[in-house]
Amino acid sequence: MQGHLPPGIELIKVDDFQEWLVDLRVLDSNPLYENEIYRLKFTFGKNYPIESPEVVFVKDATHPIPWHPHIYSNGIICLDLLDNAGWSPVHNVESIAVSLQSMLTGNSKRERPPGDENFVKYNTQRPKDINFLFHDNSV
Amino acid sequence: MSSTPQSDDRRSRASSRADALPLSTPPLPVSTGPAVVFDSSDFVRRKSLRTQAPVDIRLLEYVPKCDSNLVCLICQCPFDIPTMLACDHVFCRECLDHAFRAQDHRSKRCPTCRTHVDPKKEPIPVPRILLSMLEDLMVKCPNTKAGCTWLNKRDGVQNHVDLYCGFSTVECPAGDCRFSVLQKDFHKGCLHYTVSCELCYTSIMKKDLEEHQRTVCAQRMIKCPHCEVEMLRLDLKVHIKDVCQFAPTACPGAIVGCGHTCDRRFVPAHAKTCSMATMAPFFQAQKTRLDDQEAAQKLLQRKVDILEGGFTNISNIVYPTNSSDDSSFPVTNPLDPNAAEPLPETPDFRLPPASFPPPAASTNNPPPPPFDISTHHLLSLHESLREEVGRIANDLASLEGRTHLLILNENQRAKEEMLHTSAAINSLRTQVHWLLSARLQQGRASASGGASASAGGSGSASVPAGSSLGSASLGPLRRLSDSTRQDTKL
Repeated sequence: MQGHLPPGIELIKVDDFQEWLVDLRVLDSNPLYENEIYRLKFTFGKNYPIESPEVVFVKDATHPIPWHPHIYSNGIICLDLLDNAGWSPVHNVESIAVSLQSMLTGNSKRERPPGDENFVKYNTQRPKDINFLFHDNSV
Repeated sequence: MSSTPQSDDRRSRASSRADALPLSTPPLPVSTGPAVVFDSSDFVRRKSLRTQAPVDIRLLEYVPKCDSNLVCLICQCPFDIPTMLACDHVFCRECLDHAFRAQDHRSKRCPTCRTHVDPKKEPIPVPRILLSMLEDLMVKCPNTKAGCTWLNKRDGVQNHVDLYCGFSTVECPAGDCRFSVLQKDFHKGCLHYTVSCELCYTSIMKKDLEEHQRTVCAQRMIKCPHCEVEMLRLDLKVHIKDVCQFAPTACPGAIVGCGHTCDRRFVPAHAKTCSMATMAPFFQAQKTRLDDQEAAQKLLQRKVDILEGGFTNISNIVYPTNSSDDSSFPVTNPLDPNAAEPLPETPDFRLPPASFPPPAASTNNPPPPPFDISTHHLLSLHESLREEVGRIANDLASLEGRTHLLILNENQRAKEEMLHTSAAINSLRTQVHWLLSARLQQGRASASGGASASAGGSGSASVPAGSSLGSASLGPLRRLSDSTRQDTKL
């Protein structure tokens, strides 16, 4: 992460090298995300940056989960960048945050992925172990 | 390269590839500036064995911060061994290996642009300019935290840590000790034995004792008995001796004899009135000069002793008979008119011992002449000896020349005779050969005559026979004459 961060991205908790919290804002006037701040949780494995970190949105009183057809209501993100197949070691926290920012910016649908309710109810796997099928190339 | 937690995170990960201890690296101290400092230990090469692992150049602190173009995107540190792919993306070799290992076996892709990598052709050589830019990066010594002030080009850091850095840990000089010491304490010998702090009676290793008494020990502080200021016990002696204003101090004129003693703060006032204190610096200067002179004189004395010893030895060699007497030195002066026997001319140098009778032989001998005269005598003897040696050397040279000529002449004659003899032998040999070949020819002629008679009219057989005959009649002769000619030449 070089020097200062791009606008809309703010480091919240960077105490150790295991778990970071980053706040994310969508900058343009997208009515879906206006005036909301989302909180991302990065969990770094032992092999970072060779392996991807685990990245999810966390929900609390002030930080909702953003609406997006690839973001489940429990905060799990379906993005090829975060899967080992799509990951590249040249990525870092900043580049992931910027990717998610642009992913939200480009969205206009107020919806959850299909089967969200079931997934949220029955999923016990870690986000990284879920086999997502990356089908949507528009994001 | 920034010092945000992100980069530190990656840095520590890069360091702990083998043992996953991401927090093990201490935060490096803030850089003080780009001033290059060489401490004297830079030039003291060590002989001790180092115990540290090789320097990981990704953990070094770069001064000033490294250009972001020279940073590996994977580990976020300036390139360790840089490696370039065909798509012009550069990574540390180790980082790229790690990245490839995580990828599919069959298709490797560039971590940055995901271009397919051909393992047979890639990685391609890195431009020379990149390597030199990396070598020229300025880094701090990895032992900076321990106190090393080294700051220099990156390619010299391993050398510095291995050979010159006083803060590298090395094996303890004691062979059976398995601890390590800092290089700068190496000469102090093994400090890995337990001592007890004389203040608080804690058992502690000798090497940690001073540190303990400076920072840890509960009893380390003490009040100066004179000025009541609290300070470290270790510094008390120096304080009382040189600093404390209330400590009783002798007048600077004490070396001359002033017996006055008062508090240090009153000493300058006293020194103004004390005449001895005024004179003290001059006396001091005189004393140092005297000491210098004495040292020089001692040196000279030793030189004289050595020379005299050499002199005695020479005289023993020159007068071997005298050495058996009680006096090893011929004190009789040959130039002295009162000497019992006049000195005969010495045509040959075997005579001198006989020409100098021992001083006891002459009854009316005057007391031994002063040293100067005998020195003169010896010197003149030396001169004549030298002339003699020169003459003999000349004779030897001329003799050698003459012998040389003689031998040459003799040689010449012998050589000529040898030549004559060999010529005669050769002529004899030619004759014998000629005779032999003539005999052979005769024999073959009779044989071929018989053969052609038996072969009858077959032309095909007679033609080769005739040709071989012709060549045989010429061949041997020519060959023989050739060989004889060669012999003569030899």
